[in-house]
Amino acid sequence: MDVETWKSQLRKGAAELAVLALLETEAKSGIGLLDALELRPEIGLSDGSIYPMLNRLEREGRIEGRWRTPAGGGRGQKLYALTADGRAALKSMRAAWLGFRDELTMIVGEKK
Amino acid sequence: MKDAATIENYLRGLSKALRALPDRDRDDIVAEIRAHLEHRTGEGKLAEAIKSLGAPDACARSFIEEMKIQTAFADGGAVKTFGALLTLASRRVTATAGLFVSLVFFLLAAGFAFTGLAEIVAPDKAGLWVGPDSGSIMIGTFDTPATPDTPLPPGAPEPPREILGRWLIPFAAGMSVLFFVIGQISSRLFIRLMMRRKSPTAI
Repeated sequence: MDVETWKSQLRKGAAELAVLALLETEAKSGIGLLDALELRPEIGLSDGSIYPMLNRLEREGRIEGRWRTPAGGGRGQKLYALTADGRAALKSMRAAWLGFRDELTMIVGEKK
Repeated sequence: MKDAATIENYLRGLSKALRALPDRDRDDIVAEIRAHLEHRTGEGKLAEAIKSLGAPDACARSFIEEMKIQTAFADGGAVKTFGALLTLASRRVTATAGLFVSLVFFLLAAGFAFTGLAEIVAPDKAGLWVGPDSGSIMIGTFDTPATPDTPLPPGAPEPPREILGRWLIPFAAGMSVLFFVIGQISSRLFIRLMMRRKSPTAI
């Protein structure tokens, strides 16, 4: 069985939930999100996949991006924050995910 | 210095590949990728970053596909939805199927519209014809009138009979609108299907 294909399917949806959850407490740039996910390779987000996702979430109105330049000058970056719609989506997605996880764990069991 | 040239070269290719997008969206994407590459350069990871982003064309494609689908869905108009299906047909099976189905309905709509117009311009050559024996039904326009002006020779089969007359005009107009609406709905359904498939993932 091709586990990688199955994992890729499994990641669908999870990456979006992870991004929204990471933006819940503070605004982050694409780099900031990638850094936060650096130790979470199973989520599957990379330099190449995060920006199209952020672009889509922004156009869907779930996040809002604003350019910020550091006070002392230097490289500007686009910071993303959740919108009200994004917070509502996160709440629904989190509840759905927790229910899904609990039920699947009951069926599959914990790590043996 | 070499890194700066590499970044500029990449961004030039990206900007060119994004030319289908509005200027503002394109400039925003390029500026963000520039910030990303410059940040990675500071970490000594420019080559890895470019490898992960993919070639400029591939990088641009993911943005364009998302935007075309969303714009078409938000607009809902026949032109934008059909245009999006047309653009994406070579890369997405769903778009190819949607393009084919919508095209069939739009062509039917065009055919009925043409028939209605033909009834106005050349009423003797357009109509809804019914065959005398088999009851076969044909609609459309014909080079030769199915009902000849001159008497038929003895033994010749009876020609089809035109049954709608001038009522063909509202009938064809109604059918044209109906098929156009069905085509529009079907193209929107396929766009919606692509959004469902695409929206949860950017991996």
